[in-house]
Amino acid sequence: MNNLDRQIEQLKRCEILPEPEVRLLCLKARELLIEEGNVVYVDSPATICGDIHGQFFDLLELFKVGGWCPETKYIFMGDFVDRGFYSVETFLLLLAFKVRYPDRITLIRGNHESRQITQVYGFYDECTRKYGSASVWRYCCDVFDYLALGAIVDGRVFCVHGGLSPTIQYLDAIRAIDRKMEVPHDGGMCDLLWSDPDEIVGWGMSPRGAGFLFGSDVVRTFCHSNDLDLIARAHQLAMEGYKLMFDRRIVTVWSAPNYCYRCGNVASILDLDEDLRQEYKVFHHAPPDPRSVPAKRPPAEYFL
Amino acid sequence: MDHDELYPIAILIDELKSDDISLRLNAIHRISTIALALGPQRAREELIPFLQESLDDEDEVLLALADELGRGLEDQLGGKEYAYMLLGPLENLAAVEETLVREKATESMCKICTVLVPPQHEEYFVPLLKRLSSGEWFTSRTSASALYAPVYPHVSEGVKADLRKGFQQLGADDTPMVRRAAAKHLGPFTKTLAKEHVVSDAIPVYRRLASDDQDSVRLLTVQDLITIAQLLNHAEVKDQLLPSIRQSVGDKSWRVRYMVANHFVELAEAVGKEIVQDEMVGAYVQLLKDNEAEVRTAAAGQLPGFCKLLEPEVILTRILPCVRDLSTDTSQHVRAALGKEISGLAPLLGKEATIEQLLPLFLLLLKDEFPDVRLNIISKLEQVNAVIGIDLLSQSLLPAIVELAEDKQWRVRQAIIEYIPLLATQLGVQFFNDQLSNLCMQWLGDTVFSIREAAIINLKKLTEVFGVEWAKTTIVPKVLAMGNHPNYLFRMTTIFAITTLAPVLNLEVTRDLVLTTVVQLVGDPIPNIRFNVAKALEVISENLASSAEGRDIIRTRILPQLESLRNDNDADVRYFAMRALDKAAARQ
Repeated sequence: MNNLDRQIEQLKRCEILPEPEVRLLCLKARELLIEEGNVVYVDSPATICGDIHGQFFDLLELFKVGGWCPETKYIFMGDFVDRGFYSVETFLLLLAFKVRYPDRITLIRGNHESRQITQVYGFYDECTRKYGSASVWRYCCDVFDYLALGAIVDGRVFCVHGGLSPTIQYLDAIRAIDRKMEVPHDGGMCDLLWSDPDEIVGWGMSPRGAGFLFGSDVVRTFCHSNDLDLIARAHQLAMEGYKLMFDRRIVTVWSAPNYCYRCGNVASILDLDEDLRQEYKVFHHAPPDPRSVPAKRPPAEYFL
Repeated sequence: MDHDELYPIAILIDELKSDDISLRLNAIHRISTIALALGPQRAREELIPFLQESLDDEDEVLLALADELGRGLEDQLGGKEYAYMLLGPLENLAAVEETLVREKATESMCKICTVLVPPQHEEYFVPLLKRLSSGEWFTSRTSASALYAPVYPHVSEGVKADLRKGFQQLGADDTPMVRRAAAKHLGPFTKTLAKEHVVSDAIPVYRRLASDDQDSVRLLTVQDLITIAQLLNHAEVKDQLLPSIRQSVGDKSWRVRYMVANHFVELAEAVGKEIVQDEMVGAYVQLLKDNEAEVRTAAAGQLPGFCKLLEPEVILTRILPCVRDLSTDTSQHVRAALGKEISGLAPLLGKEATIEQLLPLFLLLLKDEFPDVRLNIISKLEQVNAVIGIDLLSQSLLPAIVELAEDKQWRVRQAIIEYIPLLATQLGVQFFNDQLSNLCMQWLGDTVFSIREAAIINLKKLTEVFGVEWAKTTIVPKVLAMGNHPNYLFRMTTIFAITTLAPVLNLEVTRDLVLTTVVQLVGDPIPNIRFNVAKALEVISENLASSAEGRDIIRTRILPQLESLRNDNDADVRYFAMRALDKAAARQ
């Protein structure tokens, strides 16, 4: 068994890798990702997943339902880190899969794959807690800058973390972006990671303070101009695991069951077969495991 | 021994004094090596006093020391007659604050007590025991209570009387910690007593502890009660213990009642038939109806064990009504415990009563909303099968099992699949083919990967149960047919199944049936299928390589396919094809 296979086995058991190994893994990942376009071409069949947010044991649940990498080909649409307890293990496992089987898994950047956001929502703190320094966080953030902005399956299904941008009418406009940087506060790249669909006409201000709201007419035009069947995106909690909108032209896929360990939602993944038929596989959060939510105090002894 | 050989020992001795705790720990664990190197005399005169002084250390080091001192270190001191010297450091360890250290120290002292040479027990061990028993802190008195039982048989009558008095004092100690320790060790101590002293000395101590105002003390006396009852004959039990039994069953603290419920069979066996009939049945019914779910759970766990002591008539009239209530208990844990044990009643009740009384309860529990309850029932069906026969079982329970096999929760489906091989062995091939084989094939098309995987492993286990000939005519054709399915997930399942089944199939089936399908999938448009074909070919050639004909098949039919996959346009396909080729080449 080579080193990478060993690392994957270790990460599957939710054990972190030593810092020098993380550094090498991240360097190797950057080498691979730098070769990928801003919009990655993927052949069907493929399985599309939404936000994970460091819920490692629920990610294992996802693989148990969808099949493991490389047997199943995956597209993860960002927000791997923050909020859950195991962002480090989650991101490193996905990254290790990427390095081991680059053609079988595609990782897209989400708005949480950013230096600014991870310092507020937990990934930075988790890295310093688990490694005693911020170096692992720094290595991971350097990888974030190289993640693709979108993916397209068989030229018909466009995958992106947030949504559309008023500055982007054609996929080629995305391809023209120089993506290798921290997520900017505005502009096309920011909008792809931050926007949300809404029941409005045209474009609206986003309550998030970044990106825009966009209506069904925008989606219809974009699908028509780019010859798309479907836009798959993540970014918003869907209580039923997924939510189809606008004549089934856009779908929100959400893959973090019982989000933040308390929302009570189910999660889903979207399985596209070789004819791009959609099957949404719904799954629940992992059964209670002593490790899935670390206890603050040791449990009291039964007697005494 | 020259200087060079002594050098490592010098390091160990230095490490004993090191500032680094891990080094000190290491040295403690090698203490017998150090003692051996020093020789018996220096070990006695220098090492033991040193250890005695070095007790102001971290608990972790003390724990290691307490352990090592009980591991036959006396051999390095000059033999058994010097074993008493180890008691010195252990006596100090038995008085420290950390419970783990104290327990380990008393454990080691008990071991040393068995190797002491006769007058030494009275000369060294008994004075030590007296010092500990009258220690100022509760810590040493707590440790003392464990040491009465090992030394008692080795001393003279006069000293024995002293020891009995000493233990009695511990049982009446001011601090509950010591009384708890006394309650815990009363049983083992009682076993060493002569019968007259059980009645004259142990029972008064027991009574004192069993009516302690702390329930943490009282709950430990349940075990003592059982021990004492085992030592007495049934008439004596009735005379001496009946009020105590009643008192414990009706204790106002649920933790005490829980202990009684948890050990009920043991207690019932010790008290004898008459008391079981007159007293214990009522007590047991009371526990099954207890207000606390924990008590009911524990009582339900004793169901078949206790009912074995009763006449079927009594089970039917007294126990079964309670069982019926428990099957609809509000606590899922009670129902789960019941589900685990209720099948054990079938052999006791016989066929007719099982069908009439138990089957309805099985069906109810099989439909329980809590998965553990359903699983516990399924896992014990064998016992029911033995009593009522397969026909009745299938008529009444199979529909419920089939329903579970299609449960919405995939983990419930998975659990059922895991029981299928067990059911198959119990039910036989005919029944299986009629009733369950379709279900097994249906799981292969499940939407959840883990279910498909479990379904494949199930097929492998079934092949091991029913044989290759059975697999060849029943499952293999169906699995291979899925290889033509238009959806890639089904074709993937076919190739996974082939990889898993290959080791249990024979050359004939592999050659005539399996390989044709695998070869056909080499040209599949989906790369994920093709690299799994490469993996499958790797496993198949591993199994064929043992015979000449098999090696021939590898050469003529497998290697050419791997060669073509080696030039695939997908990197992962090329990788797995290369790996299979390398392995095949290494075997040739």
